[in-house]
Formats: sequence, structure tokens, C-alpha cells
Amino acid sequence: MYSSEIILQTVISGLLMGCIYALVAVGLCLIWGLMEIVNFAHGEMLMLGMFTSFWMFALYHIDPIISLPLCMVLLFLVGVATYFLVIKKILKAPFLAQILATFGLGIFLRYLAQFFWTPDFRMIKNPLLSGRIGFGGIFVGIPELTASVITIASFALLYWFINKTEIGSALLATSEDREAASLMGINSDKMFALGWGIGVGCLGIAGALISNFYYIFPEVGFPFALIAYVAVALGGFGSIPGSFVAGIIIGLVEFLGGLFIAPAFKYTFVFIIYLLVVFIRPQGLWGRY
Amino acid sequence: MKKIFGFGLILIVLLFFILPGSLPAADVKIGVIYPMSGPVAQAGIDDKHAIELALDIINTGKYKHLNLPLAKSAGGLPNLGGAKVIVTTADHQGKPDLGLSEAERLITQEKVAALLGCYHSSVTETASMVAERMKVPFFNPESSSPKLTRRGFKWFFRSSPHDETFSEGMFQCVQDLEKKRGAKFKTIAVMYEDTLYGKDSSRIEKELAAKAGYKVVADIPYRRSATSLTSEVQKLKAANPDIFFPTSYASDAILLCKTSKDLDYNPQVIMAQNAGHTDPSFVEAMGKDIDGICSRTEFSLDLAKYKPMLTEINELFKKRSGRDFSGTSARCFVGFFVLCDAINRAGSTAPEAIRGALVKTNIPADQLITPWRGVKFDETGQNILVDAIVIQYQGAKPYTVWPFNLASKEMIFPIPKWSERK
Amino acid sequence: MGRNKNQWIWLAIGAILLLIYPLILTLPFPRHLMIMIFLYASLGLAWNLIGGYAGQISFGHAIFFGTGAYTSTLMLMKGGISPWVGMLAGGLISIGIAFIIGYPCFKLAGHYFAIATIAIGEIAQQWMLNWDWAGAAVGLTLPILPESLINLEFHSSKVPYYYIAFGIFALSILITYWIDRSKLGYYFKAIKGDLEAARSLGIDVTRYKFYALALSAFFTSLCGSFYAQYVLFIDPDSVFPLILSIVICLIATLGGVGTIWGPVIGAFILIPISEFTRIHFGGGGKGTDLIIYGFLIMVISIYQPFGVIGLSKLFKKKEAQ
Repeated sequence: MYSSEIILQTVISGLLMGCIYALVAVGLCLIWGLMEIVNFAHGEMLMLGMFTSFWMFALYHIDPIISLPLCMVLLFLVGVATYFLVIKKILKAPFLAQILATFGLGIFLRYLAQFFWTPDFRMIKNPLLSGRIGFGGIFVGIPELTASVITIASFALLYWFINKTEIGSALLATSEDREAASLMGINSDKMFALGWGIGVGCLGIAGALISNFYYIFPEVGFPFALIAYVAVALGGFGSIPGSFVAGIIIGLVEFLGGLFIAPAFKYTFVFIIYLLVVFIRPQGLWGRY
Repeated sequence: MKKIFGFGLILIVLLFFILPGSLPAADVKIGVIYPMSGPVAQAGIDDKHAIELALDIINTGKYKHLNLPLAKSAGGLPNLGGAKVIVTTADHQGKPDLGLSEAERLITQEKVAALLGCYHSSVTETASMVAERMKVPFFNPESSSPKLTRRGFKWFFRSSPHDETFSEGMFQCVQDLEKKRGAKFKTIAVMYEDTLYGKDSSRIEKELAAKAGYKVVADIPYRRSATSLTSEVQKLKAANPDIFFPTSYASDAILLCKTSKDLDYNPQVIMAQNAGHTDPSFVEAMGKDIDGICSRTEFSLDLAKYKPMLTEINELFKKRSGRDFSGTSARCFVGFFVLCDAINRAGSTAPEAIRGALVKTNIPADQLITPWRGVKFDETGQNILVDAIVIQYQGAKPYTVWPFNLASKEMIFPIPKWSERK
Repeated sequence: MGRNKNQWIWLAIGAILLLIYPLILTLPFPRHLMIMIFLYASLGLAWNLIGGYAGQISFGHAIFFGTGAYTSTLMLMKGGISPWVGMLAGGLISIGIAFIIGYPCFKLAGHYFAIATIAIGEIAQQWMLNWDWAGAAVGLTLPILPESLINLEFHSSKVPYYYIAFGIFALSILITYWIDRSKLGYYFKAIKGDLEAARSLGIDVTRYKFYALALSAFFTSLCGSFYAQYVLFIDPDSVFPLILSIVICLIATLGGVGTIWGPVIGAFILIPISEFTRIHFGGGGKGTDLIIYGFLIMVISIYQPFGVIGLSKLFKKKEAQ
């Protein structure tokens, strides 16, 4: 029914989008792995990253790919600030209070954005990364391709950081056993702040990449965040490689399900896959428990 | 500390109960219900600006040279002793139950003379149910679901066309195009977002297609606010219809256009159902990429050729809102004037009087910024002098291309392929 | 003994005030406000049974609300059956859904369960958006019937709606009270407190989780049917959305989970706040009301993580002194 061209195109697009989902998910995974807090403001923080990228472009004509490091740093600071201003106070609170505090933060940020920037849709026009490469009948969008490359690089960097550096080991130790780690002299407060910083910093990178090809407005974060939650759970809470693979799987399921079965249900297929996986493996693909 | 917090909280809650909710009476108050938050908040905000501009023209008497109802008076409504029109706005957040409760509150507590709103057909439905029950006029400037005027309501008035009129216009345009250019269309595809708007519009499109003898080769409902539309566009490519009929709000319209470009989807004709495809954000975001897209609409800036005052009014609107008039804000603007004109002719704020005046409405075409033959309501409350037009984007600007006698430019057909464009 | 008597007096005063409220405040809006408070309090109390007492956090409760709304409405529109029967039917179907969801999901640990409930809720909403027989995205407009108790429709005044909502509210409180004091409640709390210990005590954990979910589903569904009869229009976006599930959880949590009065307090605080901020600040389109709303939720979660009901403990402490 569909030409092999169209199928191949869909697979490639699905993989590329999956990388982006993975990047959005990894920050969430890190934060959860570290202190078991689900950040319900994740979508709104992604939105902040996208807006940062947009305003750099609209006001100062700095291309998103160039302002990417700035977005990352800014969002890193947002993550750290969120930790000290909000999260630190609810570390000992029940799980529900933690969720709702971040949910409240999300609503707060979303409408703060509407207040300052109006609900209008913005688009970065003709960034450096635009256009597409075509071979055969297959088109690969340059922004999406770049986003995937940078995502994979970010994951590799993160993996190296966590597993091969001293600070990374400290982070890992804190996430596995907070008390033991502090007995060893690791300041868990600093570790948590660092975790939030990195987790949200990833959103800065993701935001800068997504803004190359997607529209931007205060409510933009939510669809991506919803997929991120499912990706983290699918991959297994606490497993960074799990989030990556889950993101890719979701991208493929969404795109192929949308093509072959029904576009209206493409996210439904994602949710069904999640349910099937956890019914068989309750800890997700590579979860810790 | 915690005790202070606790008392403070209780105090705040109590304060809300006793804070006065209504403005001082005396002037003519109209209740406006629009989405001021949520994914289509920009439409609500545009409408708010349109209404504020209308209030300025009606209340201040500064614009006597404009050929609009009530502009020529010294200020306020002349038949009510110069009473000013004031508006109190409520946000329905896209929720029908909020539309209902806000309509009730505005009528019973704010004591509005009439209601205006709500953009979303689903919210208009519930809000107008309240108005009907409480016998207060409900004026709808822009919701397009046909069933709104088919409920046998006596207090509901709609100034703009509904989906059937619009869609009939689109198909007429397509058939006129066939005749004029010697084309022969056989297949169409519809793609629509999964809300009331999308569902209604696509249903009508499919019915009209069947009547006109076109085959529907792809019927694609999609999830609004999708993170990508790749699969959907792939299906379109595979089905390869002669004409593509999308129905989207602004955000999805932007994504659709972009995805079509990325995946090199080249339909010969695109006929959009307004909303997103005529939203200024869409034009602003996509620039020349939108060239070739046609949309039914009820308003276009190039109508200034026949309506010279349009240019000036658009400038006034732009100063307030930073954007040009769009189909939505233009209809809201016109609708508001129609309502105020009726209240003026009624000479009172009594609901029955206003309703009587609305029934007798007969506003000539030259007092409207929309290309209608006038405003006159039939017994279902529908304006029967409405006409749809079709615009096409050329050089990132919309131009009227149909009806051919109103057209300012020739319709480009077929749409040039992405590879042929610069 | 003296303290217990005090409690009953306060309860009686509260009940009397609520019962005469619509007779004093005769405008529709104050009555509507209280009806919404009753509705959300009942929803919060229902959620509390599974989320608060049994400790299974669900973000998918809208599926039960929507099932109730659609079942009674479809039975009315397609079969002319009284909404009261429809309400009951909806409740039973919701229990069935709880069974289907519950058994596979209960073996999932906390966070995975929560995401699973989100997934199920989203699947349900998307399904309803595309199910043409049930109206799909267009929704269902209830027929305007002559007002009567059998028809559960009232047009000339909100007062009957008010008392029915109060009835549902009172029933929810009673059920919660009964469970709190009963062996069922004891098992729920044991499961929440320490799953393994509960299991080792011989409690069939899955069965009791299901009881909690079934009760929760039933009462949520009743609220859905009431909503449909009150607003007279339903569509998948108004009765199945994720945000509704989150708000239900919010109300129970902000008030204080696992307590009888927590969700009630939560509704009495959250609903007026959201209504009044929207009315006074929402019309401007700057989102000011929602900025305040989000901020307040944050502040309450941070300073009263166990819910506003924690404040009452403050007063009790003062009393004891």
C-alpha cells in the first residue's frame, strides 16, 4: 500500500523525533533517579528553553545553534534555582506534595510566559539549520538531523560524566544511598542542585534544538513532557540508557502507527506499548526495581 | 508562622466572597465570554482588542468620518441619552461548563443587557442555552457550527456564516476553477483536528464532495497540538488527492505547512477552512511558504479596494494589538457593532426590546468591513446576507481570488512545487 | 467524651448552614459555586479512597467521571431511560473498568502505576474523541426535558440540583467515614503503610486494592452522571481530560490525603480561589489568575505538605494547652 520510500521516510523521521523525545526525557530521568521526584514542570521548563532560543534570535539575531550553549547554561541555572527555592523545601514531604508543588510551578511558569510574551505563536524563521537533505525520495530535515546528532552526543557526554568522572560518581552514589554518600563526605545538597541543574540544562539543549523546527508559545511544552514521562517510565525510572531507547521506541511507534493504522490514535499506540511493556516487565525496560 | 499562614488563607478566601464583582451601573453593559487562556487564547485576545476598538469608536465620537453604525453620534448610544457601552469580559478557558456558569453570572450578577461570544462552538452552545432560558439576547459573531442556529432558539443571533455556507463557497470556487481553467478534479482528501470544529467541517466537506462527484481518498483526523504531523502528511502523499482540504487551528496549521515543505508534499490545490490558516501568526511564522494555500474566509484586507475605510480601521486595530485584522477579529468587530446598533434602536436595555430590534436588523453592506451583502437575520437567528470568499496567499499576503468578480488577483493553479520555488 | 460532643455540634452547625445556604443566597452564581464545591469535594473524597487510604496514586480518574457522564447520557438519549438508572449503570460499568484496569496495574510500583493511569486515561479520551456512535468530538447535547426529579433536569432554579449535589457530597463523606473506621479501611491503611508487612499479615493486597479502586470508581462515576445532567452538554474534552484527573488529585492532596475532611477542605479552598481569580483577573487575557493559582498551589504544597488539614492539628494543639 505504501511505497518503500514512504515507509523508509517514516522510519527515519520516527528515529529522529525519537532522539528528541529521548533528550527531553533524560533530564526527567536524571532528576527522578537522583531524588525520586517527578518534575511536573518539565514541559514548562522546556518551553522556557525554547523561548530563550527565540528571543536570542528575535532580539539579537543570534542563531539557535549558536545560542544553544547559552540556553543550556540558563536552564541549568533555572534548575538549580528551582532546587533551592522549591524542591529543597519539599524533600521530606510526601510524594504527592512533591508532585503538586512542581505542578503548581508548571502552571505558574506557563502563565507567567503568557503574561510577558502573549499566547501568540512564534517561529524562528530561516535559522542556520534549515532546509533538508534529500536522497532518493527520502528527505531528512537538517534541524532534525542535527538535533539527533547533538542528542546522541549529549547522551554520550552525560554517560561519560556520570560513570567516568569523580563528580559523576558522587552523583551516582548520592542517588543510590544518600546517607552512605554523605558519610563519605559528599554534600548531598550540592549533588541535588547539580542534578537539577543538569536535568534542566538538558531541556535547554532540547529547547534550542526544537525551536529550529517547531512553533513556540506558552503551552508548547506539555505534549513533549507527556511523552517524556512515558519514555522515562518505559525505559525504567532511573536508567538513562533506558530513557534513550524508550524515546526512540516511542518515536517509531508514533510515526509508524500513525502511518499504518490511524494518525488520530498515534499517541494511543505509544500508551498501549507502554502498558504492554510494564505489564510484562513491571520495572520498565531497564528500571532499577 | 504557620498559624498566621492559616488565618491568612482563610481571610483571602473570605475576602473573595465579599469583594464586589460588579461595576457601577448606569451605562449599557454587555457580557463578553471568550477564551482568554489556553491554546487559542490569542483568538480571545484579538477579539478583546477588536471590541475595545469598537467601544472607542462608539463611545467617544472621535471617528465621525467612518461609515460605521453609531460612529457618527457624539458619543455613546444616542437613543439612550448618550449612555456609554461598557463590557465585562469572562474567560471560559475553552470549557463548556465555564461558559455556562459565566453566562449565568454575567446575566444575574453583572446584569448585562446581552451576551457576546464564545468562539468555540461547544462553549457557545452551553452559554447560549443559559441565555435562551433566561430570555437574554445572545449574540454570536463567529462560531461556525451549523447546529447552533438549528435549535429553535429565539434569543440566539449569529452574524457570520456557518460551516455549510463556507464549505459550499469553497466547493463552488473549486467548480468555478474547473470551468475557468479546464481542469478536472476527481479526488480530495480531508484532514482535520479532533474537536467539534474539525469534525463538523470535515463532515460537511465530505457530504459536499459526494454531491459534486469527488472521491474522498484520504480521511485523516489528527490529534491537535501534535508534536509532529509527519505520518499524516505521508498518508496524504500516498493518497495523492487532487485537492487537499485541511481544517486546523493556528499551531497545527504552522506545523502542517512546515511538514509539507520538509516532506515535499505538493498538492495542486489546498482549500483550508479558515481559523488557523488565516491567523496572523500563521502568516507571520511561515512567510512565503504559505503561498498557494487558499482558504475560505469572511474577510480579507485587500477588500479595502471596495471598502476604503477598511485601511484606516485596520491601522487603528494594529496600533492596539500589533496585528492586522483576521477573520476572527473582523467578525467580532462587526458583530459587536450589530449588537450595539440593535440596543440603540431598541432605545432600552430591556431584553425583549433588544431582541425585537435584533430581529429587525438591516445593516447595509457599506457599513461593514466584511464582504457581506448586509446583516439581516432569518427566523432562526442566522444572518442570511452572508457570503464566503476565498483568499489565496501570494507573496505571503492574502488576496481575494473568489468570487471572481471580487477577486483582486488571479488564482494561482496549480500550486508550484516546493522544488520550483525560491 | 466532651471533645466528641463538640465535633458533633460543629458538624450539625455546618450541615444546617449548608442546607439553608441556597435559601439565603438566591442568585445562581453562589449556588453554582457551592454545587461545584460539593462536586469536587465528592470527587476528591472518592479519589481519596484509593489514593489517600490505599496509597495508589491515580492520575486517570477522569475515565470514571467520563464513563458516568456518557453512560447515563447515552442511556437517556438512545433509550429514554431515567438518568438515575443511568447513574447506577454508569457506576457499575466503572467498577467493571476498575477491575480491568486494576488487576494488571496493581502489580506496578507507585510511579509506574501513576504513569499507567495517565496512559489509560489518555487512551480513553482519544477513543471517545473518535467514537461516532457516542458523539465523538462533537459531544452530546442532552435533550431538554420537563423538569422533574425522575428526569433529573431542573430549569427554573438551581435549588434541586443543589440538594442532590449535597446528597452526593454527604454520601461521600459518610462512605469515607465508614471506611475510615472499618476493617476495610484498616486494610487500606496497612497496604499504604507497608505493602510487604501487610502481605505477610495475610492480607490479600490485590483484592483490597481492587475494593478501594472499585468504590472510588463508583462514586467518581456518580459525580460524572450528575455533571452531565447539570451542564446538559458533555464532550470528551470536558469529562475525560487529564487535567481533570490532576485537579481531583490536587483537591484531595492539598486538603490532606488519607483523612475524612482533607478533600472537603481542599475543595472549599481550591474551587473558590480558582473561580474568583478567574472572575476578577481572568478577563484580561494576561493569565494573571492562573499565575496566582499556580503560585498558591506551590506555596500550599511547600508549607503544608500534608495538606491544609495539618493546620487543624495546630488548633487542636492549642486546645490541649
